Amino acid sequence: MTEALEWLQFVLAPQVINGASIGVAVVLMALGLTIIFGLLDVINMAHGEFYAIGAYAAVALLGAGVPFWWALAITPLLMAVIGYVTERALIQRAFHSKDRHTLTLLLTFGLAIIAEDALKIVFGANPLRLDAPFTGATEMFGLFFPNYRLFLMAVGMLVIGTVWVVVFRTRLGAMVRAAAFDRHMAASLGVPVGVVYAGTFAFGVALAGLSGVLLAPIYSVFPTMGRDFVLIAFSVVIIGGMGSIKGAVIAGLVLTQVQAISSLYVSPVWGDPLLFGIMVLTLMWRPQGLFGRLGHG
Amino acid sequence: MVDVSMPAVAAAPAARSPRSATRWLAFVFFGAALVFAGVAALLGDVFFFRLATEALIFGGLALSVDILLGRTGLLPLGQALFFGFGAYVSALVLKQVAPSFWLALAVVLVSATLVGLAAGMIAIRAKGVYFALISFGLAQVVSKIVFNTRELGASDGIIGVPVPQISLGLVSVDAAHAPSFFLLVLFAMAALYAGLAWLMDTPFGRQLAAIKANESRVPFLGFDPWRYKLAAFVLAANVAALSGAFYPMLRGFVSPELMFFQVSGSAIINVIVGGTGTLIGPLYGAAILTVLKSVVGSFTAHHQIVIGVLFVVSVIFFPKGLVGYLAPALERRWKRKEAA
Repeated sequence: MTEALEWLQFVLAPQVINGASIGVAVVLMALGLTIIFGLLDVINMAHGEFYAIGAYAAVALLGAGVPFWWALAITPLLMAVIGYVTERALIQRAFHSKDRHTLTLLLTFGLAIIAEDALKIVFGANPLRLDAPFTGATEMFGLFFPNYRLFLMAVGMLVIGTVWVVVFRTRLGAMVRAAAFDRHMAASLGVPVGVVYAGTFAFGVALAGLSGVLLAPIYSVFPTMGRDFVLIAFSVVIIGGMGSIKGAVIAGLVLTQVQAISSLYVSPVWGDPLLFGIMVLTLMWRPQGLFGRLGHG
Repeated sequence: MVDVSMPAVAAAPAARSPRSATRWLAFVFFGAALVFAGVAALLGDVFFFRLATEALIFGGLALSVDILLGRTGLLPLGQALFFGFGAYVSALVLKQVAPSFWLALAVVLVSATLVGLAAGMIAIRAKGVYFALISFGLAQVVSKIVFNTRELGASDGIIGVPVPQISLGLVSVDAAHAPSFFLLVLFAMAALYAGLAWLMDTPFGRQLAAIKANESRVPFLGFDPWRYKLAAFVLAANVAALSGAFYPMLRGFVSPELMFFQVSGSAIINVIVGGTGTLIGPLYGAAILTVLKSVVGSFTAHHQIVIGVLFVVSVIFFPKGLVGYLAPALERRWKRKEAA
């Protein structure tokens, strides 16, 4: 009995906490991806690079003497501006062609290549470190919770809750959902569809940047840091349903737990194949993912 | 949504004309490659022969992407899976079984057909972007598994693959002799191109064009799109695996990087820059990008940014690619000449 309890306390619980803190960050990434796809039909291949840019922005701001709290607030705003300009300057141009799915995917893929190399030129290829604003751990129920991870979870949950309220409970959210359901009808009813599109893209990019800042003290910061991370976010979005907010949250939290707990039994290097395996199986069984798309019921 | 576009009919306007500009450009490509081989052989060069052979090999991968993207309307984000698969199978056969070119090729073709069928059954179920993402996911799963499997050399891959002697009936080609191996790969790619160009002109190719134009209308004509898409997928898998099979013969090693997304991604870039759906375009694309990489690479380590900008510009402003604009322009010129 005590053995089982000790196993729960010292083996399972830390994994669950680690998984949950990464899970919240994955959900933030996945939310950005899924909202962008739900509204614009754009598979944002550059999402991982926007995440990396967010982390580097925080590094640069902290290096310039800005306190962490300000960096946490400024970076998403900065990323939103980058996202807005990207949508207006580039994605808009490929938007009206017949195969815009493919074109916008290719376009963001090209952006990813440029962004990655640009980061290498500006910051160098070597990993940088960002110190957590606070350290230590809190004891609860006989378990130790690292403070920074608790903070990460709290901020993440707050943002996720806010996104949900804004999308489903406000007038702005209604406009977004209307534009996702039928953009021509929404436009004829006076929704400024162009602005809503660019704004949504900017918002998704800001979420990616935010998770970049939040995770920077846990992982190190390097130009290709977004690559593996965005793969997890992509599988989350695919499993949860492209364009589904509920799906991104549920699949994000469940899948990171699966990865965290499975790492107790198999080598962590098999975590990603496991995740992609689940993704492929889900797609075979329900190609549209588990939950419905934004604006569609 | 009601889609009233006409399937198939408008898809291949140039294919029937005897002086098809696309085929002429294909002759130009292979002719230029021969001229290059002549000049490089006179100069006694090895480095550029190897580089050009590699460009051709990656051109073969791009060709396989074009079958799916340009002819069937499916975007494969994980075609490197089959390329790497072919490279690994070829390396294993050469190293473990016998250093025989033809045996390696035969094993690659048979196994790529089986793997292509299995992967196709999974991937073809999904449509549109979901196909893109599932092919991406499959490639990721397999590349990570290979990366972590010690029996396959894990992250190091397989090194020390013996160089085969390739017997072609009357003559025998040594794969270590750069000019001969270049000519062999060039001949293989020309044969692949010619075979595919012929195949795309058959009723099978017209079916693929119909599926690309409007898939939901194909069943009304009495055809099952699923079977044709699967056939195209297996065909593309074979073309990619065959190109990959040459890789260890050229470089003497294989590594899991061959299956990574960068390889799938550069194949797509080659297709888009060269001309989607033209079949010869991907080879042009591979050649152009290889030249660009080595020229820009001699000035700066950051050639990716140049390629990225080129790619974004071509997606936005020249989505048809080089051959996609060159071929119609040539045809118009010929017509004007004939009229005059």
